[in-house]
Amino acid sequence: MSSIAELEVPGPVPTKYAIDPNQDLASVIRVKGVNMVYPGRDGHETHALREVNLDIRQQEFISLLGPSGCGKTTLLRIIANLLEPTSGEVSIFGRTPREARLGRKFGIVFQSPVLYEWRTVRNNIRLPLEIMKVPKAEQNERIDQQLELVGLTKFANRYPSQLSGGMQQRVGIARALAMKPELLLMDEPFSASDEFTREKLNEDLLRIWKLNQKTVIFVTHNISEAVYLSDRVVVMSPHPGRVSSVIDIDLPRPRSQESPEFFSLYTTIRHGFEGVFHQA
Amino acid sequence: MKTNVWGVGLVWIVALALAWEWGAQLLAVGFHDPMAASKLPYLHSVVSTMFNNADSLFEAASVTFTQATIGFALGAAIGYVLAVLMSVSRTIERIAFPYLIISQMIPVLGLAPIIFNLVRDMNASRILIAAYITFFPVAANTLGGFRSVDREKRQLLDSYAAGLPTVYAKLMIPFSVPHLFAGLKIAAPLSVTASILVDMLGSKNGIGVKLLYALYGGNMDIFWASVVTSALMGVLSFLIVLVAEKILVPWQDTANQGGAR
Repeated sequence: MSSIAELEVPGPVPTKYAIDPNQDLASVIRVKGVNMVYPGRDGHETHALREVNLDIRQQEFISLLGPSGCGKTTLLRIIANLLEPTSGEVSIFGRTPREARLGRKFGIVFQSPVLYEWRTVRNNIRLPLEIMKVPKAEQNERIDQQLELVGLTKFANRYPSQLSGGMQQRVGIARALAMKPELLLMDEPFSASDEFTREKLNEDLLRIWKLNQKTVIFVTHNISEAVYLSDRVVVMSPHPGRVSSVIDIDLPRPRSQESPEFFSLYTTIRHGFEGVFHQA
Repeated sequence: MKTNVWGVGLVWIVALALAWEWGAQLLAVGFHDPMAASKLPYLHSVVSTMFNNADSLFEAASVTFTQATIGFALGAAIGYVLAVLMSVSRTIERIAFPYLIISQMIPVLGLAPIIFNLVRDMNASRILIAAYITFFPVAANTLGGFRSVDREKRQLLDSYAAGLPTVYAKLMIPFSVPHLFAGLKIAAPLSVTASILVDMLGSKNGIGVKLLYALYGGNMDIFWASVVTSALMGVLSFLIVLVAEKILVPWQDTANQGGAR
């Protein structure tokens, strides 16, 4: 395991890192040698993550892709400081995940919308702003802006229970973006949506991302979603959870899911999961 | 489809009134029971007694109801604070919970004279017993509400680096409001019952006194009028809580009325 002293030494980065060492300088989020081990009942340990290394660049849209049990959500939660890794280091804009969380450096979007049902759409988006003590006038300004962006201006005064699932998820995104975070963490945000809603949400997300140009870490188990959205796809595999490959998606946007290039990337990633499909 | 709440309520009341009248008639005419008037008098005669004695019934009822309300408010406040403390600290919960359970095993019938002997004041006794009855369902239901807050709702606040007071203000307290009301709805009629019970211990006024004197004096009209008045007080207390819930929990009212339009 690399010590801090070692990290400061300039020079070639060990080849076990999945990322091109020359690009390390531009990275804003670094995951080094992260392990997550859960002790089992019969002394049998579960390796949720083994030796995960990852460098994420400024303003990059990166997907963590893999089947359930590959540790993609665990990795996201470690970055978000909702979990402590067993070993290894994570740095976010040069800070520890805890410092980044306390400095409100990232917004998080969960798998379910996690809205507060007693607050209207408007006041759900207001929640982080209240806690960050943003002045009232600016709160309203930011809320209006985000509502416009996710196309929910007309629903501002509805309660979450009066919205469809896709709309609720958009409120969750608007709430995260209203914080103006440097980093957006998304944990399978659209996995509960049907195929049609998901495509629309994907388009919306890309449009919003282009406007804001934040760094996005997006967890998904959907191959075409990952290829459609990402600059790079981090392919993970289970038992133990690990990064098996990192694939650059060089296709220009907007991407067509029907183009041969798209299909070829999709197929490449899918082949990597062959073993998993057989196990399931 | 929207249910016609008023229609259902009206049918229910009319059916109950008819059943009562018919039952009274059956007893008096059908079975020739000489005690019919005390076992089940005609509803219309009970109602007319209530109108004829409206002033004295209302006065007695308001004494009992006012003390019940004060006790209810006090008990609800104590129950709520207990729930907050127990949710903040497991240690406090472990210490307090056995006492709460034991407190529920002491019959109010036995406790009321003890309290009366201690405070020697009818109003204070009514308030204390009503509070005693109220605090447990409120504490238990509210604590249950705090315990059932979704983990991700909490994690969202953690991601905003929110402190514990903020977590309570923004999440725990609003989340637990419907649970609080579940407790209040159980407690409200109970607090009225408690207040009536204390009336009967030897108070000079209150609906319980009227009830008792009418029973001993064989004045069955007044007795039944007092019983119905007591029942109405219980219903009223429940309705007040229900209205407060509709006002304070507006998001539940709008749930499941179809998706976006």
